[in-house]
Parts: sequence; C-alpha cells; structure tokens
Amino acid sequence: MTAISPLSNIIKKGLFGDYENKNENDLVKIKELNDLLIVQIVQYQSSKLEIENLKVDNINFSREALTTACNDNTRILWFAPRNWMLVSKKKELINNVKKTFNDSDFAVTDLSQSRTIIEICGKNSKEVLKKGCPFNFNILKKNMCLNSIFNGVTITIDLIEENPDRIRLFALRSFGESLYHSITDASLEFGYKID
Amino acid sequence: MLHIKCPHCGLRSQNEFSYGGDGTIKRPELNKEISDQDWNNFVYNRKSPRGKHVELWQHISGCRQWIKVQRDTVTHEIFQTADVKQDIK
Repeated sequence: MTAISPLSNIIKKGLFGDYENKNENDLVKIKELNDLLIVQIVQYQSSKLEIENLKVDNINFSREALTTACNDNTRILWFAPRNWMLVSKKKELINNVKKTFNDSDFAVTDLSQSRTIIEICGKNSKEVLKKGCPFNFNILKKNMCLNSIFNGVTITIDLIEENPDRIRLFALRSFGESLYHSITDASLEFGYKID
Repeated sequence: MLHIKCPHCGLRSQNEFSYGGDGTIKRPELNKEISDQDWNNFVYNRKSPRGKHVELWQHISGCRQWIKVQRDTVTHEIFQTADVKQDIK
C-alpha cells in the first residue's frame, strides 16, 4: 500500500509571513515528516515484567515521566505510566517490537498511518508553541516529551535538539490540517519557511 | 484558570483536564442486594459541598490517567492531588 501523507495536499513550499529583510537562519522552518514507524506500546496492569530489561534498537525503556530515550534512528517517548510511543526511521523494527513484547503482557499498536508529524526548527520554535499551548516551555529541555494541547488539538511534543530548537509535534491524522494552519498562523510574525 | 498538579506529569493547565465528578462516591459491592433507594443515591444523587471537596479529574490531553483532586469549591484552591488508587485524607 502506498502511504499518502496527511498534509501532502495542503503544504505549499516557500517563504511566508514576515520573512523580508531577515536572515534565513532566523526564520521558523516547518516541515511535515512522513514514512516513520510509530508504535504505541502499553504494558497491562497485570504484567509483572520489568520493562527496564527490554530493549528495542539497543534502547532501554524508561519509567521516568516526560523523557525520551533515543539513538540516531529511534526515539522512545514516555506517554503515560506503562505507556510508550516508539518512533523510528527503521520501518522493519515493527517485527522486532512484536517479538520483544508478547501478547500476554503488552498491547502493541502500529499507529504509523494515523498520526500527522510536523517538525519545527529555529530559535523561535518555542515562541510559536507558547502561543497555543499552556505548558511552561521554559522548562522544556532536550530529549523531553509531553502531551498537551495546541489551540484545542491534543498533541505530543518531542524536543529533539536545542539551540536552535528542533521540535516534533504529533497529532491525530484527522487533526493534522487544523494543527498545521494553527502552527503557520502562529509563525507569521517570525516569518517561516516551509521545506 | 486552575493549575492542577498531575501526579504523573507535573503542574499543568486545567485546559488539559476533564472534570469527572465527586471522588468520594463508592460503588455498592458486587452481587450484594441493595435497595432501589441506595442504588438511586449511587447513580444520581450528589452533594454540593461548600469548602474542601475530593473530585475526580482525568488528564485527558496528557497522560490520560484519572486522578483525585482535593479542591476548595469556594476559592478553587487545590490542596492535594493523588493517583486515583490512593486516598486523600
């Protein structure tokens, strides 16, 4: 099956907003990410397994709230107690995940086709998010993740890099267009570039 | 706007939460005969206290967990929050 990205018919590449007379490095850069593996892993309440002993792509799972365990290809986001979201460039990892997490202890769900992923880069990335999200972004550090809302849309935020900030936003696929327009509206004053 | 401290995620805005009603209501024991009046009280009748009150909230746009919140219904001050399995005294 050919995967059609949620924003493929909406995104128009170029420079927008207040971008004139500004260095391109100072603009907010927005792009849609697709072709990533997204898997939700939930450990049942009855399960006695120690999740810290399990590894996927050489990454250990963490019970620490709001943290992301990662390497160059894969990121494992803490979602809630006993609940994680794995995001990876390696699509074949799904087989490994299904082998590692047995049916009696875990619910493994492939969400790859049901999420929109928008990546925002630039020194004003947090300022853009502050306009629609009530979270205190001053405490957001590298490899932290959280669930919150942006203008009423439930999103997952993952800070990948700092200085300049590179932030990934995940939303339900059906809310992708609404989220995209909210993000671009909030970026107008800084000037933004769509890649 | 209220700020509620989720026991899992930390201090968050009320916008991320959904109110879930009185946190002190206990379901009648399973398979135990109870009167229609008791069942009616469990399902429909709620007190509307003035002052400290234990409530259920769900962190619907966060970790999606149910939590207990002790809140003053007059001042909206929040004294304590806890996981839904824990008791608030």
